Amino acid sequence: MALSTLTWVSMLVSLLLLPGVAAAVLVRSLRTEERKLALLREQDDVDSYSPRALSDLREWIRANPDDPYSPIARRRYNECVRSLRAIDEPHYDWSDEQIARLELVDE
Amino acid sequence: MSDSDPRTAREEWGSRFGFLMAMLGAMVGAGNIWRMPFTTGENGGGAFLVAYILLLYLIAVPGLMAETMIGRYTNYGVIGAFRKVLGSKRAQGLGLVVLIVNVALMSYYAPIIGWALYYAGHSILMTFTQPGFQPQAFWEGFINNPALVVGMHTVTMAGLAGVLVFGIRRGIERVVKWMIPLLVVALVAVSIRGITLPGGMEGVAFVFTPDWGYLTRGSTWVAALSQALFSTGLGWGIALTYGSYLSRYDDVPLGGGLFTAIGNTSIGLLAVFATFPVVFAFGLEPSAGSNLLFISMAQVFPELPGGSLWAIVFFVSFFFATFTSGLGITEVAVTTVSEETRLSRTSAVLASCGAIWLFGLPSAYSSAFLGRMDFMFGSFGLPLATLSIIALVAWKFGPERARVLDLNRNAGVYIGSWWNPVVKYVIPVVMVFILGYGVYSSIGTVNQRLMLLGVAFMAALVVVSTLVMSVIGDEPPSGSAAVPGGDD
Repeated sequence: MALSTLTWVSMLVSLLLLPGVAAAVLVRSLRTEERKLALLREQDDVDSYSPRALSDLREWIRANPDDPYSPIARRRYNECVRSLRAIDEPHYDWSDEQIARLELVDE
Repeated sequence: MSDSDPRTAREEWGSRFGFLMAMLGAMVGAGNIWRMPFTTGENGGGAFLVAYILLLYLIAVPGLMAETMIGRYTNYGVIGAFRKVLGSKRAQGLGLVVLIVNVALMSYYAPIIGWALYYAGHSILMTFTQPGFQPQAFWEGFINNPALVVGMHTVTMAGLAGVLVFGIRRGIERVVKWMIPLLVVALVAVSIRGITLPGGMEGVAFVFTPDWGYLTRGSTWVAALSQALFSTGLGWGIALTYGSYLSRYDDVPLGGGLFTAIGNTSIGLLAVFATFPVVFAFGLEPSAGSNLLFISMAQVFPELPGGSLWAIVFFVSFFFATFTSGLGITEVAVTTVSEETRLSRTSAVLASCGAIWLFGLPSAYSSAFLGRMDFMFGSFGLPLATLSIIALVAWKFGPERARVLDLNRNAGVYIGSWWNPVVKYVIPVVMVFILGYGVYSSIGTVNQRLMLLGVAFMAALVVVSTLVMSVIGDEPPSGSAAVPGGDD
């Protein structure tokens, strides 16, 4: 039985949006983890937030200084900044200039 | 290890692959193998898939991220996570609700694993291709033999206990790393075989030819919503529990959300490919529900070239799907019992599996009782548990705080602020809608009394759990931050 064009499109889109994405995510997740582990073995530490994620965290700390979770947020922020200063190769896409501009926050 | 990461000597996953397979294994279950194919077929084929994929990406993926994140952040099972975030003895009652719903769900899921095991065993014995094999009589002979069904239920719980007693890394991870890839390979093999059967492409056409008229029907969207939420295991406490064994360096959004939800659904889609071509090639009834698997499919193998082998591939992979889900569901109870009672892992496994075995006896004994349990806990218990977990993240921890503090920490993909309103408003509204729809659609039907009983039972469960935990619950651990309110 020949399938109609619409059926083919429907089937292929389903395959791309589901198994295709799942396979891509699996590969990416495993590769990311492999790289993270290699960096950890070499440097004994790894940056924990991407530039955008750390920027969000900084904004949140500024906006919520009295939040009960603020001390944890500050520790995590500083932990990431210290890691970035100490390690040779960051996990995320940080430039030297971006790292140089980072400042610790009061804990 | 930093002081911001208050870990105990808690076990962690041995590898990323192990965690991903465990999450996938826990979510892929009986519902994916038999429910997804006929639900797709009944609701407009390709049109249903459009609705389903939209809801999956919009609700299930962000929801699973939230559940996994709160597990990794708190490093506790369901009761401990509520205790750590809410900081009051009474509020831990919601964690107890999640635990009780989970145990109830497992109590009637365990007999179903037993059914799958029975069929997998008989496929290996080549029963289905013996001359004169009668699928209907075989099924009825099994399901109407309480000793046999209870026996399989007992073997199932013993098997689950046997794996769980070895822990996360040496038990669950070691098993799922084999079972899930084998399940996928088996489904791909059956799919290819089905599509190449004469008439098999009609099944593909039936499923994937979109009937856009279905997109205007409310029932299509409700079916898509149920499939997207319940088959991905959101709110069962599994993602929370498995997430609590993640290392601080692990990623939550990719593994805990995207891969789990979409991988799980991909297996559902594979099941569609594996089932429907065969159904159409042999002229079976596509909307036969559970009978499709245990009766209709069983009658195919004697007529299929190499039928004995295909029966083994099909039923053993179905058993793998159900068994790995059983591991995930039972681990929720094991982790919580172990944490809350300070019992050793072995004792916690024996206590949890023993309780589930005992509570599962009525469902094993009577499939009518099993159906009633499924109606009550599937329609009302599960949305309640999901609502509790999502409310914990959305309304107490706060989605923005969760996102910046933990979800994006060591994450492979950046999650933007779009996540906040989805978790805070969309998912809770959807869960309330599902609860309401369950009530509304039962009014005036034979299920009305059962619905009233279910609603009353769930309301009582919340009240009693809250009272019990206010008496026996532990005070929040020192240093843990109980949050006075949401953050946005």
